[in-house]
Amino acid sequence: MFVTLPEFEYHRPQTVSAALDLLDQYGGGATVMAGGTDLLVDMRYRIRVPEHVIDLKGIEELGKLTFQPGEGLVIGATVTLNRLLEYDAVQSRFGALHDALEDMCDDQVRNRATLAGNLCTASPAADCAPPLLVFDAKVEVASPAGRRMVDLPDLFTGVKETSLGTDEMVTAVHVPEPPPDVQSRYLKGKRSSEDCAIVGVAALVARWDDPRDRVVRLAYSSVAPTPVRVYDVERIFRQDKPWGDLVEEAVSAALNRVSPISDVRSSKEYRVHLIDVLTRLALRELLGGRR
Amino acid sequence: MTKFKYVGRPVPRVDAMEKVTGSAVFTDDIELPGMLHTKLLRSPHPHARIVETRTDRAEAVEGVVSVVTGRDFPFKLGIYVGDRDVLATEKALWVGQPVAAVVAETEAIAEKAVQLIEVEYENLEAVFDARKAMEEDAPIIHERLGEYRTLPIFSPRPGTNIASVFTLKKGDIEKGFAEADLIVENEFSLPQVSHAYMETMCFIARHGADGNVEIWSSSQPPFIVRYLTSMSLDIPLSKIVVHAPYVGGGFGGKAGLNFEPLTVLLSKASGNRPVKLRLTREEHFTVAAIRPGLHATVKTGVKKDGRIVAEKIVYVFDAGANADYAVNVGRAAGYDAIGPYDIPNVEAESFTVYTNKLYATAFRGFGHMELHWAIERQRDIIAKKLGMDPIEFRAKNVLKPGISETGTGARLREDAANLEECLRRVGDALEWGKKPAKPKEPWKVRGKGLAVLMKGPAIPPNTASSAVVRFNEDASIELMVGTSEMGQGTLTSLTQMVAERLRVPMEKIRVASLRGTASTMYTWQTVGSRGLFMDGRAVLEANKDAESQIKQIASQVLHVSEEDLELAEEKVRVREEPWRSLTLAEVVMGYMYPGGNSIGGPVVGRGSYIATGLSVLDPDTGQGNPAVFETFGCQGAEVEVNVLTGQVEILKAFSAFDIGRAINPLLVEGQVYGGTVMASSIALFEQLIYQEGVLLNPHFLDYKIARMSDAPEDMVSISVENPQEDGPYGARGIGELTMIGMAAALGNAVSNALNIEIKDLPMTPENVWKAVTRQNPKLLERAKRYLKGE
Amino acid sequence: MTQRIELVINDRCRTVEVASNTTLLEMLRDQLKFKSVKPGCWRGDCGLCLVLIDGRPIKSCLVLAQELDDREVVTVEGLLDNGNITRLHQSFIEKGALQCGYCTPAFLLASEALLRRNPHPTRERVCESMNGILCRCTGYKQIVDAILAASE
Repeated sequence: MFVTLPEFEYHRPQTVSAALDLLDQYGGGATVMAGGTDLLVDMRYRIRVPEHVIDLKGIEELGKLTFQPGEGLVIGATVTLNRLLEYDAVQSRFGALHDALEDMCDDQVRNRATLAGNLCTASPAADCAPPLLVFDAKVEVASPAGRRMVDLPDLFTGVKETSLGTDEMVTAVHVPEPPPDVQSRYLKGKRSSEDCAIVGVAALVARWDDPRDRVVRLAYSSVAPTPVRVYDVERIFRQDKPWGDLVEEAVSAALNRVSPISDVRSSKEYRVHLIDVLTRLALRELLGGRR
Repeated sequence: MTKFKYVGRPVPRVDAMEKVTGSAVFTDDIELPGMLHTKLLRSPHPHARIVETRTDRAEAVEGVVSVVTGRDFPFKLGIYVGDRDVLATEKALWVGQPVAAVVAETEAIAEKAVQLIEVEYENLEAVFDARKAMEEDAPIIHERLGEYRTLPIFSPRPGTNIASVFTLKKGDIEKGFAEADLIVENEFSLPQVSHAYMETMCFIARHGADGNVEIWSSSQPPFIVRYLTSMSLDIPLSKIVVHAPYVGGGFGGKAGLNFEPLTVLLSKASGNRPVKLRLTREEHFTVAAIRPGLHATVKTGVKKDGRIVAEKIVYVFDAGANADYAVNVGRAAGYDAIGPYDIPNVEAESFTVYTNKLYATAFRGFGHMELHWAIERQRDIIAKKLGMDPIEFRAKNVLKPGISETGTGARLREDAANLEECLRRVGDALEWGKKPAKPKEPWKVRGKGLAVLMKGPAIPPNTASSAVVRFNEDASIELMVGTSEMGQGTLTSLTQMVAERLRVPMEKIRVASLRGTASTMYTWQTVGSRGLFMDGRAVLEANKDAESQIKQIASQVLHVSEEDLELAEEKVRVREEPWRSLTLAEVVMGYMYPGGNSIGGPVVGRGSYIATGLSVLDPDTGQGNPAVFETFGCQGAEVEVNVLTGQVEILKAFSAFDIGRAINPLLVEGQVYGGTVMASSIALFEQLIYQEGVLLNPHFLDYKIARMSDAPEDMVSISVENPQEDGPYGARGIGELTMIGMAAALGNAVSNALNIEIKDLPMTPENVWKAVTRQNPKLLERAKRYLKGE
Repeated sequence: MTQRIELVINDRCRTVEVASNTTLLEMLRDQLKFKSVKPGCWRGDCGLCLVLIDGRPIKSCLVLAQELDDREVVTVEGLLDNGNITRLHQSFIEKGALQCGYCTPAFLLASEALLRRNPHPTRERVCESMNGILCRCTGYKQIVDAILAASE
């Protein structure tokens, strides 16, 4: 690791199109920076050595944070985690996201780090990803060709790899408004009070009382090369079976979908165990006495 | 209640204002004119011969002043064994060992240039496990072990990886086991851990063209740095000055000699310009010394009534690639092998062993946290087997003042610390015998545990301290002591002692914050919890000397005998006739009679202290008296464990130490809380994780240390005060003690909560889960059933 | 490549010439000699280099100096009130909330930011706000006590 950052040219465009022009001009030699909390560390390790750093924080449009009934949540690319954490709609409607934000890095880093940045770093351990996966979030991507919406699962292509082209950038994250009775949680296995996820589980439940229309979703971090959502769960929970059987099936579906590894943070076996118990804990917390 | 005005009071630290205003100077804050910067090239191999090093490309970088390799500096370093290269010379011994260095105008240039050095290595077989390193066919790490300068109290075994072995023998071990009703044998282990002090090490050196050397070092012991630098580099001692700015945490990691000699040599190689070497955090984790790991085998024989009759112990310390300081850790753990227990028949061997990993040095506790992990877990396991209460079992066997003999055969003084009292006090605080309250969730369980502990300064028998109390014109005082300030607060306690005796308010006593070998008084090192006791004794002597000089002058002026004078309120006055007095200001620079005739002169109190009566331990049996004092204590905890995840939460952490006297209760509490949390962190989270010698967690993301939420809210420090006659105001040392027993207490509490026996640290959630899975799977099954709502 | 930025540091306007790859930590510590801003890990793990930017506590090793154009920065020197220590400093001293002193500037700044936004925080809130800063000496208890005492 170097103390000194590599040399680069710093740009601070005022509009998205100016930022895109810069990206276009410098091709792969440029990178966008939102909070910079991952980027600057990667640059010190010389994992990323961009010749041009395009700071997005001067672009007013990217700083917007809104919630509209019907439209849902729109989170601009430079909205910090703490702004999001303090936003009422997040706490009241997007519980799992709020859980994840609250337990993510620390107060000081959250004053800089952004949600879009967390997603674009595409770490398998990204805490915000599982909540956003269960909320069906989409990512708004801008390029010289215009804007397109990308389903979040399609953003992640591998460990710290995304489907974004070198001339593209994320401008916002859109999270549709969840059903009115939605409840969601994010739980994570940690080594100490502040840690990245050893295993993270986001669980969402809505319309529980109507078995045919019931929505139950599960998504995970740190269990595969990318954050993953387990789609089978929804079908499983619409079966007319005892609660215990449904949970068993959901846990096996999750375990079938994931491919945890052993690394410095955890063994594969412990991850498998955590997937099992955290999934059950999350569902239990959401459903309490209602099941 | 204390009868003193300053001693025993929770007065604020003397360095507090500098530290809260941000003006306290640490080594890296210092910039000298023309100062250059250094970057180290580190070995990527755990064990490799250095075939060739090419530096020309690095030298060609603009702004590079010099590039050096190990062969440029053929010196051996070390405090007890001279086994350490300045830069790797013939072989690299661990991944991260510095093999070359670049000195340049800026850090950025040095960082760039260091990448351009090319080193050709020939890989050698490496060994990472200390017990494997002891096997006959293990690759040898230090072929020249027999040639190294070694203090005669150590026993290296040339031709092996055993840097030293210490043997303790007392009584007849075979007879002891033959008498035993129950024999219990267990193995315990702890990994290597990092000191993780907040200020990474930093050094500045200037080697003048005239041969004079100045060093600024984030070091605990300026005097030993001067002494060892002189000896290792063959520079006359009188030509070296070592400055000691504030130290941003040391915990033993900044004791002994570190990178000072390298920095001196770099300055010499760089046209005598001053050179700074500051480690980054990653370098700190891969270059700087760490705490050794330990594997312990403990076999204990007990009678049915709970009396321990025999104990046989083998400690294997994993010292990593160098053992220059670690040999003394192994030695200290060897002579205190059985802890604070009176056991008639003992045999212990303590090996300090080389492996191809980061090298170990002193660490708060100096082998004692490690050994107490083993023996205090063992005590609980035995008590369980005997069906005895762990407190009663310990009480039956612990050392008792005036009666018992330690493992080295030293009989405890009448005024020694009272361990049994500490044990009872912690037991009471924990409400021992009462079941812990039920946790909120049914898949959590609670347990209590405690451990007793002992330690004295593990230092050579002849280490000394000195102090000067020097008066100024206004009767303010310069207190000159060599002990370093790294957070422990000894300077404050010493200032209290001066204020108490000389009756001068604390704010009129100054201890210079930037001190060093040329500007303060000699002390051997600030290590081993010795500062308050030994430097304190020197300060008391200096006080006495100053007081007698003052009284000598005043007795002439006031025409009374010295015995009839007393110091009070910045005056010297006649006892019972306080109106007959002189202000100190009138006296301390010499007294002038109205006619101009003057007597006396500036008052300079001088004090020295050396412990007497310590012995060089018997080389075959380890018997003798190694420590000037022993502090005893007990630590206990109540924990809550999540059976599902293995996570441990500390609900209560109580400590009682017999420190003789708390000179400053605020500082004592600070040491206790700090030591408790550091030990908890080490017990629950910390381990240096290697894969084929490569450290996988060289940063705080994956090397976890406790954060604020990890610290138990309910922490209590219980001061037991049975004064030691020859301690300053009766005090004993405390700094290291505060972390020695907590890991074992937590291990006992977690084991009790889960009804298993934890034998290895750290108790990470994963390791706890694994232990439950292996030893008590039914508990996990039951917890899982709760989850299902059954 | 350098750029001139204007910012306010501890209530004083400053114009600084900074290179594009200069971090705020380097600008404050090396260029402007605010030595109270301590380096500790260079990757945002330890929090020792914390400063306040527009009142928010931020780790200066993760900020480019150029981003600071037109912003306000406070270091621990800026917490003094006309050269005098405040109630918060006093509370740290009385409660024994500092030992080696290396992390003290960071904790004071973070506490100041917390108490400005939340004058009467709970113990839990204090811990949650301070978890980004490491201290190896104190065991944290006395820091929590100092912050709570200053908030009374």
